[in-house]
Amino acid sequence: MSQRTVDPERSGAAPTEPEDEGDLIGLVPQQVVGPVRQGVAWLDDRAGFSHLLHRVLYEAVPRQGGWAYTLGSATLVLILIQFFSGIFLLLDYVPSVSQAYSSLDFLKTSDPFGAWMRGIHLWGSYTLMFIIGAHALRTFISASYKKPRELNWVTGVFLFFIVLGMAITGAMLPWDQASYWTTTVVTNIPHYIPGIGNGIRTLWRGGNFVGQATLTRSFALHIWVLPVILLGLIGAHIHLLWRHGEHGSWVNYRTRSADPGGEIAERLRNAAAPYPTRGSDPVYSVPSDTVDFFPTQLFKDTVVSAVLVIFIGVMGLISGAPLDGPANAATLTYVPTPEWFYLPLDQLLVFFPLGLVGFGVFVVVGIAATLVIALPFIDRSPERHPIRRPDVLIPALFLIGSVIYLAMLGVNRLYNL
Amino acid sequence: MPHLFLALTPGPVPGTVITNTVMVGCVALLHVLFATYLIGSTSIVAVSEVVSMVNHDPRHERLARGIVHSWAYLFGTGAAIAIFFVIFVLVGMWGRFFVTFSQFTFWVWFFEALTFVGEIVLLYALYANWDRLGEYRMARLGMTILLNVDQWFQMFFIDVIASQMLTPVVQGKPDNTSYLLQFLNPTNLPLTIHRTFGNVAWAGAVIALTAGFRYLRATRREEAMALAPNTHVEPVRALGAMPDGELVRERNREAAYWDWAGQYAMLFTFVLTIFQIWVGYTYAKEIQLHSLDSWYQMMYGWISNIFLGQFAGLGLLFMAGVAYFWRRIKAAGQPRPARRLQLALIVLFLLWLFGLQPAWWAGSYPDIVAAHLAKPFWDGGVEDPLGFFFPWKVMVLIGEMLVTLFALGTFLRARQRTPMIMGQASRGSQRLLIALGVITCLMMLIMGIIRESSRSPYLVNYSIQINHQVILQKPAPNIPLTQRPIGP
Amino acid sequence: MSERRITRRQFMVRGTGLLGGLITAMVSVPAIGFLLSPLWATTPLLWADVQGGPIDDIPEDKPTARIASIQTETNPPQPPVSRVVYVVKHQGQLYAFSNICTHMQCDVHWDASLDLFECPCHGGLYSITGRNVGGPPPQPLPQWVHRTQVRGGRTYLQVANRLREEI
Ligand code: HEM
Ligand code: HEM
Ligand code: FES
Repeated sequence: MSQRTVDPERSGAAPTEPEDEGDLIGLVPQQVVGPVRQGVAWLDDRAGFSHLLHRVLYEAVPRQGGWAYTLGSATLVLILIQFFSGIFLLLDYVPSVSQAYSSLDFLKTSDPFGAWMRGIHLWGSYTLMFIIGAHALRTFISASYKKPRELNWVTGVFLFFIVLGMAITGAMLPWDQASYWTTTVVTNIPHYIPGIGNGIRTLWRGGNFVGQATLTRSFALHIWVLPVILLGLIGAHIHLLWRHGEHGSWVNYRTRSADPGGEIAERLRNAAAPYPTRGSDPVYSVPSDTVDFFPTQLFKDTVVSAVLVIFIGVMGLISGAPLDGPANAATLTYVPTPEWFYLPLDQLLVFFPLGLVGFGVFVVVGIAATLVIALPFIDRSPERHPIRRPDVLIPALFLIGSVIYLAMLGVNRLYNL
Repeated sequence: MPHLFLALTPGPVPGTVITNTVMVGCVALLHVLFATYLIGSTSIVAVSEVVSMVNHDPRHERLARGIVHSWAYLFGTGAAIAIFFVIFVLVGMWGRFFVTFSQFTFWVWFFEALTFVGEIVLLYALYANWDRLGEYRMARLGMTILLNVDQWFQMFFIDVIASQMLTPVVQGKPDNTSYLLQFLNPTNLPLTIHRTFGNVAWAGAVIALTAGFRYLRATRREEAMALAPNTHVEPVRALGAMPDGELVRERNREAAYWDWAGQYAMLFTFVLTIFQIWVGYTYAKEIQLHSLDSWYQMMYGWISNIFLGQFAGLGLLFMAGVAYFWRRIKAAGQPRPARRLQLALIVLFLLWLFGLQPAWWAGSYPDIVAAHLAKPFWDGGVEDPLGFFFPWKVMVLIGEMLVTLFALGTFLRARQRTPMIMGQASRGSQRLLIALGVITCLMMLIMGIIRESSRSPYLVNYSIQINHQVILQKPAPNIPLTQRPIGP
Repeated sequence: MSERRITRRQFMVRGTGLLGGLITAMVSVPAIGFLLSPLWATTPLLWADVQGGPIDDIPEDKPTARIASIQTETNPPQPPVSRVVYVVKHQGQLYAFSNICTHMQCDVHWDASLDLFECPCHGGLYSITGRNVGGPPPQPLPQWVHRTQVRGGRTYLQVANRLREEI
């Protein structure tokens, strides 16, 4: 708060629009009169919806490149779809080694809408992996993580990890062959941590071997623990977005006049909330041109989300979610294959034999993860254009290329098995 | 290669197996050097075209034009070698093998030949009309990209053949005609990726080498004058008789251009070679999983020594690159990053020395096993445990990757902070570029030799033998795996 | 008036902190104990017969997969599950391998053409004596804790619900 009063730019930029308390009433058509109208007014007076709506919807966002900035909200919508479909799956699913499989088999054979819902949950998670990756890529390319938005990036990376965790714990639930062996391999990985690894594996499995306790624990992680963390982090991520405003990308900060200094000062003077971004380089603190989030940006967001959700619905219906044979610890022929988004990591395991297993899993992946988290603190130059940041772009291409190549190798290996 | 010495009696081909092997080796290697340069340099032309279209940098235009002109000569020569290779060497000397093999890879060869048609049309059209097409930049770029795609497929089809020889889909079935399986055989993917990057890296090295020479030539006069101020030095031939002021301007222009070109091209080589480290590792892994005998030859047989040469070459390449970064940044007057680069160079050198240790002091591992010397040297054997590929050389490779990435980041960042003035490079840095080119060339040759000799005694693994090109009906018996040391 | 050592405000600040700590401790002690309980849970040794009859007829050097119904975990109690026991006779020795790969615990199987145990996940290889001879596995193939019983002149194999080597 004190921040706000010291900052003259900001207080000067306070909106001079008509009183915003009447907004909600404005949504009620003129024809409606009487109790409904009064009811709305009463509700608004007591609860302050208009104020809230105003704060959420009438933020300024950069004008150019809006389609690229839809990916964050698309991620959010997809996560909400996961919550929605996941909660509905709980109408049927039983987290027990003897019944998990049969409860889902029941959906497949005799409950078409349930099977559809399951298909939506699976295809939703696939689409989510893609879109969250695209969102991360776009914020990387536009260097949105630079001062003061470092924490937007850091919370984002942790969100990504949590979503990966959701996907892997979810894959452990159906207790078919794929699920059983995924559980076995994944819960075995911590055991390569020197010293405490064995203990962690035991805790995750609830014993030395994979069994009922393991399923119960994965279930608890998938249904309660990770979702709660996920929601908390999303809250933090969005809060940070509101605090600093959408950065957009370099196209929003080009100066057009012969007097760039004057133009930037002019922008600072006319900035609409939440701009100017506090603590930012002046050049990048106000976009050259903004629009209201509602309806301009929200329309684009909704278009993208609608396309994705329709895709998920259709794929969930026509392709659905597969179910292997029931879990069988005594198989000699089953070839465990990871979910596609874990293929790169699985392939990495092939390359680190014997004493290097732990090194490959923890040190190599750990270094890569640390570098990704620390990116905003490594790349602190004011440059935003990707071509002017070759020192981060080339190593990043290296990392991305490696992940893609690992995935391709994984496919190649499974194909040639 | 003991089996080759046994086969000195003339076979059903002119010449001995040895001379024919040497022949095929030389011609194939030569052909590869030309072909890969063409493919890789086309990618560089495409990149330069895009850049110059965006920011109208005349240097990119000049470079692209220069490369396109080099194609005319090199493509002609390379194609002549290829024709000689196929008609005379393969059909004449290795006829039985080639005919059999071509029969079951018929369609692959067919498409390969088709891509040549496309390449001839596009390449010469571009060469002959490059300047005229300058008015239609988009069309020119489109043609260049099309040419590159065509060439990529050319490489891809040859990779199908090469990988099929190394890891045939179904062991012992040379007549396997499932094309999908042929295309997707286990080593095709790593080989394709390896070559996709390798082509550009090699083309970059050739350009860097050329640029190094041209820079030295442009600055020769002043260096000679600096060494002996009072002697008269003839100007460079190309600069001819010019008034002195003009001469200096010409010198500055030339030096600035070639300094820039060398740096731009060597970055391709350097960056892609970092990636090649682990692409190469995955390639070897795939060979190990699917053609253990070849892998065994490469890692434990006599070619393991050549492999060590490749290891040395890789280190040298990186050292030349980092030394160049260091010299260049120093010449640009940035002492801090220069010191970091110097440190990186020292670490690289130490890693290189460590990685050079041979794991055993003899021709091949089976030799020392036979002589009961397969134990550490302090136990009276000839093994040096610190020289084994696993885990030591793997560690060295990982270390080299990290250090080179660090050096690259430091260099690019320093260059970004204070834009570099081109034409100020020291002559030493340009000699390093020349060294980089030479080392890359040697590595290309070494890789060729390793690849081609790792299959012996086969021409096509498990199906066609080298010796008199015997075609096997059944897979040759594997040496039981339990009777020899297996690496991870 | 005696001099107060802490003010009313300080008392409330500290008291809130203290009681908050108490609440946290109250819930975390059982939580942590509950969380860690698998670490000191002990599973009793439970023996199970290897199915498929006596093992006398299993030929030398031919690893044979048998099934045993093993109750690997008893916390919480759950029914026994079928597990593979690879019975191997090699140079007068009897081995009772599990098919649990020491790399990531995938299902290893005997490949007669390679003369090796092979793991489908990342290509791990084990010799007939369980030695890890190729691929990523860092340790030899584990054996079940086992014993033989002779009944009516025939040898039967029994395995316990744990592995001999820790993997
Ligand atoms: C659960 C996952 C996530 C959700 C729901 C989410 C949501 C959002 C939303 C709605 C925005 C604003 C709109 C936009 O710029 O697209 C945003 C911005 C941002 N997100 Fe995320 N995000 C998630 C994951 C990530 C990840 C994985 C990263 C990076 C690794 C990331 C980094 C950022 C950054 C840096 C911004 C600021 C962009 C700017 O100001 O230009 N987020 N996020
Ligand atoms: C980021 C969010 C989420 C992701 C990425 C995710 C992912 C997954 C995945 C990949 C599966 C396996 C589907 C299959 O193989 O068939 C799964 C299953 C399941 N998920 Fe989620 N999930 C998420 C959120 C939730 C939430 C919030 C709930 C419930 C509150 C939930 C409940 C379930 C249930 C009950 C199953 C088992 C049924 C089945 O396998 O189809 N999920 N989840
Ligand atoms: S799990 Fe057996 S090799 Fe990885």
